[in-house]
Amino acid sequence: MSYNVYNVYMHFPVLAIMTLFVGAFCVTLAGKHEKVRNVIAGCAVLISFTLLALLVKPVMIDGNIITYWMGNWEPVEGYAIGIAIEVDALSLFFGLLITIAVACSCFYSYQYMKQDDARGSYFTLYLMLSGGVLGIVLSGDLFNIYVMLEVMTFAAVGLTAFRTWNPNAREAAFKYLVVGSIGSTCALLGTALVYAQCHTLNLAQISAILPGNLNPTTILAFALLFAGFGCKSFMFPFHPIAADAHGAAPSSVSVLISGVFTKTGVYGIIRVCYFLFRSMGLTSVQTMLVFIGCLSMFVCVTMALNQHDFKRLLAFHSISQIGYILTSLGLCTALGIAGGLYHAINHTLFKGLLFLTAGSVLYATGTTYLEKLGGLARKMPQTTALFLIGAFSISGIPPFNGFYSKWIIYQATFEKAAGGSIGYALVTVVCVVTSVLTLASFIKVGHSVFFGQANPELGNVKDPPLGMRVPMWILATLCVLTGLFPDLMLRYIIGPATAAVLNSVGYIDAAMGAGYAEAHLADPSLLAAPQLISIGAWQPASWLVLFVIVLLAVFLCSLLSRGNSARGLESDAKHAVFFGGERAEYSHISGGDLFWGFKHNLRGYLGFMSRVHTGVTNDYVLWGVTATAVIIAYCFVTM
Amino acid sequence: MDIMNIDIMDILMYAVYILIFPGLLFTCVFGLWLAGIDRKVVARMQHRKGPPLAQPAYDFLKLLGKECIVPDGAARITFLAAPWLGLASLVVTVLFIPIGGLQAFGTGGDTVVILYLLTIPTLAMILGGSASGSPFAGVGSSRTMVAIMSYELPLILIILAVGKAAGGYGVTFSLGQITLFQYLTAPFILDWRLVPAAIAMLFVIPCEVGQHPFDVGEAETEICEGPLVEYSGAPLAVFKLSHAIKMFVMTALFSALFLGGVTTGMLWLDIVLTLAFCSVVTLVCMSLLHAISARFRVEQLFKFFWTVVSGLALVSLLLVWFC
Amino acid sequence: MFKKLIDNAASKSPWLFHINAGSCNGCDIELVAVLTPRYDAERLGFKLAGTPRHADIVVVSGPVTVQSLDRVLRTIEQVPEPRVIVTLGSCPRSCNVFKGSYAVAGPLDKYVPIDVSIAGCAPKPEAIIDGLALATKILKEKREAMK
Repeated sequence: MSYNVYNVYMHFPVLAIMTLFVGAFCVTLAGKHEKVRNVIAGCAVLISFTLLALLVKPVMIDGNIITYWMGNWEPVEGYAIGIAIEVDALSLFFGLLITIAVACSCFYSYQYMKQDDARGSYFTLYLMLSGGVLGIVLSGDLFNIYVMLEVMTFAAVGLTAFRTWNPNAREAAFKYLVVGSIGSTCALLGTALVYAQCHTLNLAQISAILPGNLNPTTILAFALLFAGFGCKSFMFPFHPIAADAHGAAPSSVSVLISGVFTKTGVYGIIRVCYFLFRSMGLTSVQTMLVFIGCLSMFVCVTMALNQHDFKRLLAFHSISQIGYILTSLGLCTALGIAGGLYHAINHTLFKGLLFLTAGSVLYATGTTYLEKLGGLARKMPQTTALFLIGAFSISGIPPFNGFYSKWIIYQATFEKAAGGSIGYALVTVVCVVTSVLTLASFIKVGHSVFFGQANPELGNVKDPPLGMRVPMWILATLCVLTGLFPDLMLRYIIGPATAAVLNSVGYIDAAMGAGYAEAHLADPSLLAAPQLISIGAWQPASWLVLFVIVLLAVFLCSLLSRGNSARGLESDAKHAVFFGGERAEYSHISGGDLFWGFKHNLRGYLGFMSRVHTGVTNDYVLWGVTATAVIIAYCFVTM
Repeated sequence: MDIMNIDIMDILMYAVYILIFPGLLFTCVFGLWLAGIDRKVVARMQHRKGPPLAQPAYDFLKLLGKECIVPDGAARITFLAAPWLGLASLVVTVLFIPIGGLQAFGTGGDTVVILYLLTIPTLAMILGGSASGSPFAGVGSSRTMVAIMSYELPLILIILAVGKAAGGYGVTFSLGQITLFQYLTAPFILDWRLVPAAIAMLFVIPCEVGQHPFDVGEAETEICEGPLVEYSGAPLAVFKLSHAIKMFVMTALFSALFLGGVTTGMLWLDIVLTLAFCSVVTLVCMSLLHAISARFRVEQLFKFFWTVVSGLALVSLLLVWFC
Repeated sequence: MFKKLIDNAASKSPWLFHINAGSCNGCDIELVAVLTPRYDAERLGFKLAGTPRHADIVVVSGPVTVQSLDRVLRTIEQVPEPRVIVTLGSCPRSCNVFKGSYAVAGPLDKYVPIDVSIAGCAPKPEAIIDGLALATKILKEKREAMK
């Protein structure tokens, strides 16, 4: 039984990565010709996306695993010396969602970045970042992953500081660089330790050799790799830098950092926990992931409620959603993994959309500060509609996509609870509460940016140009579609990816030859793929049909009683807002004033959280180092 | 349910389900009836004669005939669309709740889905209010959102407790299975472990509906009815109707969760029985509380729900798990 | 038929919005007394609304002071059609003992047409109920006259 497909598909993954890197250099060559630069960047991302999309059939549906040895350096005498590109359904899943976000954001930035200077370097960095991210998820080599991690991190730091006139951006980039290098260092050290133990860097081979070989060195390597990738996914307590970086970077870049960059961390954690060490069978590792996930979820959503800046708020939500993904992956059940992966793709879509709407608001008004905005719905109707789609998706309002993935996560956690530990039922509760708080904070944004009273200082504001709206509508459509057709998603995209997570045997055999896993793994069926069964059914498409029918019926009834809603020639007073009889004046209830009762009751906790997030780099480094130390200690004690 | 392969009779059946029973027409009528008895009973408890039972219906019809004013500062489309969205999603929600063994849309009846569907009408009110551009509505929206945050925690705890109790050795989110389990054993209200959860649910119902002691968002004496301040005419009528239907949805949910499986063997009698249960629950948790208590302040509301009510639900969850 | 139902309902659910235009508070207390168990105007469907947008009947008490005039007129304007304006007590019609004061801009009928006026200083609850019942009839007529 051979998983290799010796045909043209084999070359697609490496081409997808190389196109982006070659594009990055060509963009520089184009020099001052802006149109040429745009065309090159656009072509690069589109080609990359197309190449990966063509792989859906062989990899996702037919279940092949593509292995490509760079320079044809195949394994010799059972040792993989060369660098491999190995694409299973999991890699392709992440590759697809990355390229979708990259493409949308790229087209968005044509218009969006028009007012910036030094645009020459923008697409170079942009394509480097994209290429690095794609390199990580498609690579089959641990050290190669580290190299790509560095490429990605430095490109991201450069892009964060892209608007150098903004002191916040420079500061954020610095913090990012410092805290990010903790993660990189951990990952490198972990890689070195693994290499010392296994004498190989090939993921597949390590996955075969390492799991039966738990000793202090490998435990340390595990903890370091976990912390390293955790840092890249900005999980708690690495999260504060994310807030600064997402907030300061141009919105088109925030999409990448939030929707794409963090996913590489998640991807790395999956590879480390499920493949390299096969440690997800251990309760202690599950507990650690779920615990960190819940903390990220709850802490960041409460921090988000406290924010006064649209993009910072979105940034905290990113981490909160990453928390969902980690929690769900930590359950180590088919349903949990499916929920986590589903949420990963949804998060990329809706968070991308929300960052782009934030970018549009910034583009139109020049600010994202919640207290200065208001009443934009009348002037920017399309942006408002897009924002609402994104907000409903992230808050899990049926039938948008966020609901379905959250619903799977609730089921997965609750089912896990039924297996014995009541603790997992409390995880479900945390998930639901976080979801409500997410809704609350988007009500806050909606009210203080798009609804409420129009700020008279914002004069001539209008919807962004078509070039910016189209990518947003594409993302919005995807949000709705992935919410409406979860069955298709589960069958063709999520299902294969979930199976791939639990199929490390196939992954090993594809690279090292059939039977290699059997020979080396002590218990090959430890994490074998169980059936993906959900404990209920929810058909959003039929729900939507029902909804539309009812809406139509309701409208028909309303036609029977058409009130007089036409504007006559009455005085203006009649249509003015009621102010207890006073003349209407500007009195917008801004975001900071909302949810008083909630904030008042939790003032101790919220105040503590605000005080702790000092914004000082040293503090955040301390958090990061402490967290790494705690993870190492925890792993030594429990593994 | 496969939408593609249904013949004419099925379509007719679904049409009846959606439009007449237990869909649009029935929910409207029964919701208004519940609102009517609520007002009547509150009046009787205050030693008044009270309005006629059809008073909410009169209110609704009268509002339909009034002029609809859209304020100049409002986001027009959101302002006008919000009430209809809320009403439609409520009616759809009813189709997922079993009423006396009749669940119009079978397997989809899941408690978590209903939990989320139930936020949509409130969300519609928040968005509509926020779109009206009035500062009163802004404050009202904020308070309504705090109310949602308050009751969501106990509600999910209740759902988990019931889901565990009905799941036997497993767990379930399916309302159909929950009622079936009660049919096979006994209604959960008689299960001592679930009594605290039932009491907690009785507090959650008026908060979700926005009834008197918990109506912080619409406090008409403080903030001019909050999100509804700028609404008039037909959209207001729809909001009032949604409010009435919400009473029905929540009490029906209570009946399914705690009084399910009580059967006489005849479908129509079961339905009547469920409706009777709904009325009784309305009297107990809405009229009684309304008549004897003053409105909570918003931070008291939050505190009350996150400590007392959640505590009750949590006790139930623990009991179900360990007893 | 539907229109008929609506027209019938127009007189059965009158919601009040009460404006105090500088009243001495006597009439206001009597209006509240109308809603107490003893008189229970809710039998007729009366309800105090929190905002003029919800109201059918605007009840104005007080002699309409200069300060309040602008507010009163704006609030009345904000009540959707059909609406009925009721004056409560003598003040809004005649300014009562405040007549001639530099601070008084009333009576109200200089500015808006009044549909029902309830006399008395302060009027008895029975009189108020009588006046409001009359107002509901006018409300129905106005509703039928619409369109």
